[in-house]
Amino acid sequence: MILKRSGVTTVSAGVVSPWWIAFTGLFLVVFFVLPIVNNLLNTTELATLAKQRPISFYYHKLFTDPYYIRIVFDTVALSVGVTVICIIIGYPVAMFLVRHSGKWSGFIIFLLIAPLLTSIIMRTFGWRVLFARRGLVNDFLIWADILDKPFMFLNSASSAVVGLVHVLVPFMVLSIASVLRSIDLQLEESARILGASRVKTFLKVTFPLSLDGIGTGFIIVFLLANGSFVTLLLLGGGDLKTLPLLIYQQFTISRDFQFAAAMSNVLLAIAVGCLYLQLRLIRRRGVKGS
Amino acid sequence: MNSRSWFRLKENAPKFSMLAYMVLFFIFLLGPILIVVAISFTETEYVAFPPKGFSLRWYERFFEYDAFVDSFIVSVELAIATAVLGVGLGVPAALAVTRGHVPYANTIMTFLLSPLSMPLIVMGFALLFYLSALGFGVSFLSLLIAHTVISLPYVVRTVAGVYRGISPDFEESAAVLGANRLQIFWNITLPMIKPGIFAGMLFAMLISIDNLPISFFFGSADTNTLPVVMLSYLEHQFDPSIAAASCIQLIVAVIGLFIVERIYGLDAMTPAS
Repeated sequence: MILKRSGVTTVSAGVVSPWWIAFTGLFLVVFFVLPIVNNLLNTTELATLAKQRPISFYYHKLFTDPYYIRIVFDTVALSVGVTVICIIIGYPVAMFLVRHSGKWSGFIIFLLIAPLLTSIIMRTFGWRVLFARRGLVNDFLIWADILDKPFMFLNSASSAVVGLVHVLVPFMVLSIASVLRSIDLQLEESARILGASRVKTFLKVTFPLSLDGIGTGFIIVFLLANGSFVTLLLLGGGDLKTLPLLIYQQFTISRDFQFAAAMSNVLLAIAVGCLYLQLRLIRRRGVKGS
Repeated sequence: MNSRSWFRLKENAPKFSMLAYMVLFFIFLLGPILIVVAISFTETEYVAFPPKGFSLRWYERFFEYDAFVDSFIVSVELAIATAVLGVGLGVPAALAVTRGHVPYANTIMTFLLSPLSMPLIVMGFALLFYLSALGFGVSFLSLLIAHTVISLPYVVRTVAGVYRGISPDFEESAAVLGANRLQIFWNITLPMIKPGIFAGMLFAMLISIDNLPISFFFGSADTNTLPVVMLSYLEHQFDPSIAAASCIQLIVAVIGLFIVERIYGLDAMTPAS
């Protein structure tokens, strides 16, 4: 190969071939895009066991029957609620991690990531023990005179929300922390020098600059909450019904696949809507890498 | 902090409250997990916390119960196969998108990462009927395909993250000196992106071994993974064997992490994501 001035770019273009993407792209088209399109268009014969009904019947049911409207609404409301709680709980943790943890920061990150190594069933199991009628949480609340008899946390929406927040809050902390870390401290110093109080500096400088991280965390947590059913199944006990839980039940108990397909498409639409928001958010802020 | 400053509580109040908050937060985060670890060693017939006595009977029970052991083997095999296939597909894609002058590289990257944003239960449902129509049915191969689709983004992201941080000069020098594409990849690129590959493999394994929303659609006597068996077990009974099973799964994950950490260090695993 002859070294030429203008040849440098050609050389670098030659190291990695653009064709290396081809097989992976094909794999994803065949096993990711097509299955979803297939489900959307409802081409596979699903109505095997259940009485034959067209999928439009189920869409109609989902959007007109108050019971199912309620479930679609609850699915979104639960995801938003869990995400907001994660922001409130996680923000101070991210702040501490970035600004005050010093040499402990590695250890704190380890503690945040460690739970991700455990299975969702393990964590749900732990909460079931804690929330049991004679479990630690009830014992404590009775000891502290907050309750006079055990409260049935299990099989209620409250324990499902706690379980979901527990699983998802590390994602929020890490998203917020990565943006907080990139904030130029001089901006805050300038605000302080110009006479802003600590609170005002936070509200007018730090917080607006960290919105990017909250946005990323919001999307991650929302999407994960939106699709989860194990926590709702094992902690919520069916008290709080959402689309994923209903899909699971339609599949395992009722075996009405057509209905499950319709619900999964609605769930997909919610996720794609959220993704669209994310893309717009990225576009607005310019390309910043991944 | 010296002992005198403890008296200056008023001044340090924000600091103390923040520390207290952190302690509470990590009790919340780690408490439920540590409780399960403790319960797995209980001597009692039922789930007891605090556990009474110390025994390994529930671990013995895990290894005596065929459904657990068989599904555990399936899970581990599946995790390894997913990691290998994920790397085979993910590494070339990550390299091409990062430095292959692919048109619309940003859009393609978004596409490669998009399985992350799909509700897993929808993917599982859609894939089950699609793969059945193709004739794959409920099989290990179907599980492998499904798990690879969802773990591919992790491999692509970690490998692309590491590769982006490596100067193109090394590869260009090799090209100038006459190395061909394969030689450059094998001798220059591959050794440098190894941390990313190992991290990606680890993520793929962790994603696979813990997956439930997809695996349960492909459940059969031969293809039940450990989480699927644990879920159906939990739906019917509540005893410490689930705690032991959870801990065994955790140990596998920790061993994986430890091996990667030993070889490449955790710092290399968290590239600027």
